[in-house]
Amino acid sequence: MTKLKLSGVSKAYGATLALRRGDLALDTGEVHVLIGANGSGKSTLCKIMAGSVRPDAGEVLLDGQAVTVSGPRAAQALGIGIFYQELSLADHRSVAENICLPDLPKKNGFFVDREALLEKAGRYIALFERVAGDSLHATATVGDLRADQRQLVEIMKALATEAPILIFDEPTSALDRAQVDRFFEILRDLKSEGRSIVFISHRMDEIFAIGDRVTVIRDGETVGTEAIADTSPEAVIRMMVGVQETLATPQAAPPSHEASHEIALTVEKLTGLGFRDVDFEVRRGEILGLGGLHGQGQSALLKALFGAPPARAGQVVLNGQPLRTESPRAAIAQGIAYVSGDRGRDGVISGRPILENVTPIHALRNRLVLARPGPLSEKALPALKALNTKFAGLSHSIGSLSGGNQQKIVIARWLIDKPDILLLDDPTKGIDLSAKADLFALIRRLAEEGLAILLYSSEDAELLNNADRILVFNGGAVSRELSGADRTRYNLYQAAYEAA
Amino acid sequence: MTSISSPTRQDKGGFRALLGRFPFLPALLILVVLLVLNGIFEPNSLSFRSLTGLVRTYLALMLLAVAQTYVVYAADIDLSVGAIASLVNVTIIVLMQHWGGGGLSVLAALGIGVLVGLACGLVNGFVVAALRLQAIVATFATSIFFTGLALVILPVAGMPAPTVFWRTYGGTFFGIPFVFYAAAALAILLYLLARTRLATQLLAVGDGQQAAFQSGLPVTAIRIGGYALCGVFAALAAFCITGDTASGDPLVGAKMTLFSVAAVVLGGSALSGGFGTVAGSVIAALIIGLINSLVFFAGTPSHWQNFVQGLAILAALMVGVLVSRRGRA
Repeated sequence: MTKLKLSGVSKAYGATLALRRGDLALDTGEVHVLIGANGSGKSTLCKIMAGSVRPDAGEVLLDGQAVTVSGPRAAQALGIGIFYQELSLADHRSVAENICLPDLPKKNGFFVDREALLEKAGRYIALFERVAGDSLHATATVGDLRADQRQLVEIMKALATEAPILIFDEPTSALDRAQVDRFFEILRDLKSEGRSIVFISHRMDEIFAIGDRVTVIRDGETVGTEAIADTSPEAVIRMMVGVQETLATPQAAPPSHEASHEIALTVEKLTGLGFRDVDFEVRRGEILGLGGLHGQGQSALLKALFGAPPARAGQVVLNGQPLRTESPRAAIAQGIAYVSGDRGRDGVISGRPILENVTPIHALRNRLVLARPGPLSEKALPALKALNTKFAGLSHSIGSLSGGNQQKIVIARWLIDKPDILLLDDPTKGIDLSAKADLFALIRRLAEEGLAILLYSSEDAELLNNADRILVFNGGAVSRELSGADRTRYNLYQAAYEAA
Repeated sequence: MTSISSPTRQDKGGFRALLGRFPFLPALLILVVLLVLNGIFEPNSLSFRSLTGLVRTYLALMLLAVAQTYVVYAADIDLSVGAIASLVNVTIIVLMQHWGGGGLSVLAALGIGVLVGLACGLVNGFVVAALRLQAIVATFATSIFFTGLALVILPVAGMPAPTVFWRTYGGTFFGIPFVFYAAAALAILLYLLARTRLATQLLAVGDGQQAAFQSGLPVTAIRIGGYALCGVFAALAAFCITGDTASGDPLVGAKMTLFSVAAVVLGGSALSGGFGTVAGSVIAALIIGLINSLVFFAGTPSHWQNFVQGLAILAALMVGVLVSRRGRA
């Protein structure tokens, strides 16, 4: 019996279409898995069900009745509870208060009923008693807990809604094996009570262990729904990939190229916050792609090479010399350049002229004391020209430029004094398509000029089209290296989704 | 071996846990130091009489600091608390005068005063939470607006309060000064308020508005509730100001606004919201009072008093922050 049915649901954020046409039919008493690549719209679909995002179009039927989920409160009233991927916890409040936050037990109208609060929270904490660790107790402050414990609290909070429909958006990403097993036991109990459960995970083994049916979303559209029993991991990945997009002509340099160029950067057993035991080499003239799902350690690795913050263990050798990465300052001095996709936070100096945005690294590397506009302009203009940056004048504010041109300014910043290694951390985030093509042409040219480039992109197509080799990250480690004809969407997804 | 190292670790953990539960401990420490210093410079200042005077003068600031704390809980701020207090001050003065200054008229005026404070709080809550204007600018604007109203109601300072009112405020019952009853009533009120759903919800909103919204909390209503509570406490502060000064003054509260913010921070609450205690703010208001009296008792020349006061408050803030950081690190 269909409990909840979404048809033709869509949502746009400004010009970005997060969800084009979402369909989902959730039955009573089933665990329904949602799967799709990065940015395919799974989380948006979940948030629409939970009321925290309002759809632009489409229909939601609950028990056959059309309903409007106007907000999270309305969703709770309709009997929909959710686990948020990014968690919805108040760090300074206690575990018990967080678990019961949506509906604090009250007495005499105004007051929190502390006894009922602790009793209610205690019931849900007890569910995970053996796997949660001692420090997770009702009066512990959530901010003091470990990542896995915080995730468990968010699970308890979702369970405490006692909603007939429960949505879990990547609830297991920080959990260990025992915790996942316990969680699955609970899910099976809930299922036998007749609850309907939506479950998102990127671990194929989990999906096949707990799911009854699976719905695949690709590029904001529901592709189809299959019974888990009638399908296989390979078939699911094929649905996610769709018709194999013809890749642009492989741009990988011929094999002779590899032999002729020297190794620029060697990384051995590098371990840090979010990644471990990463080994690779990059040659001059090569673009090495870092692929896989979001947040599997790619960004963390790039930041660690830039010293923000430094890795905890391992070795990095640059041009035969050990690389010191204790701070970005040290990394810059040794010829490392880092461009982040989060321009607003990590790149652009907002409200300041273009000239000031192009020259800070030059000023730092040459220890300039005076910022004289004349000589600086002479340095800045060729760098900007090389990137085909469109701008009216160096004195204009950077805010007057489009996102793509802003990003070019940020890249130009690093090119006045040639670096050895260019780290690109999802550099095309929020940039329109034609500007993207421009940027990648430029990146390829920089590689040909002898830079070694590390590229992480959250868009798989960008990696497949532009990287010579791709290291697929899974759970903080490199699970596979794809090069030459192996660089297909199918192989990329398979490596990204297999059990870490 | 472990038995040697574990007690120290326990101690550190104990201090941290203690600070986590009572974030106002550093403020309390500073308060004690200041009391001792006051006693050294002027032994008389620790007499019952002087302490009564201190509480009588600074009860208003304590209440304003409490008012400010509730909005800071939710990561908001209210720069109009002083203006609300001024408005309530002139409103009740004019009403008491108008109604003849008897006991009943005083009570009726106080009732209206609370409603005026509540209304001001609701206006603030509406512009900040419902219209989503920046709290710091929006409440600055409403503060000018409230001051303007106060000036219309009483253009010049000086209308006296009825004798029965200030005599009561400054008086003694069963050998105990009235202000101590008021302080005790405040303590009970704060104890009860800390146990309300609203207090927890305000803190949750301050911890992360998006998370609170996604948890299904009515965020806008909660923030408006915080401002309403703030307005009511600003009105109560106005009663104390009126009792202490025994007259109406449309600008009396203005200079107290930023002291209330300073008291909130000094009391260990986070201006970024989600964390804090009203008890800390009350203690911090007393600290500011004690600093002022210490500056006086230490014989600082009058033209240097502001300078020394500012330095002393900075020093107190630094000590508080350092102790808290040590505890949390």
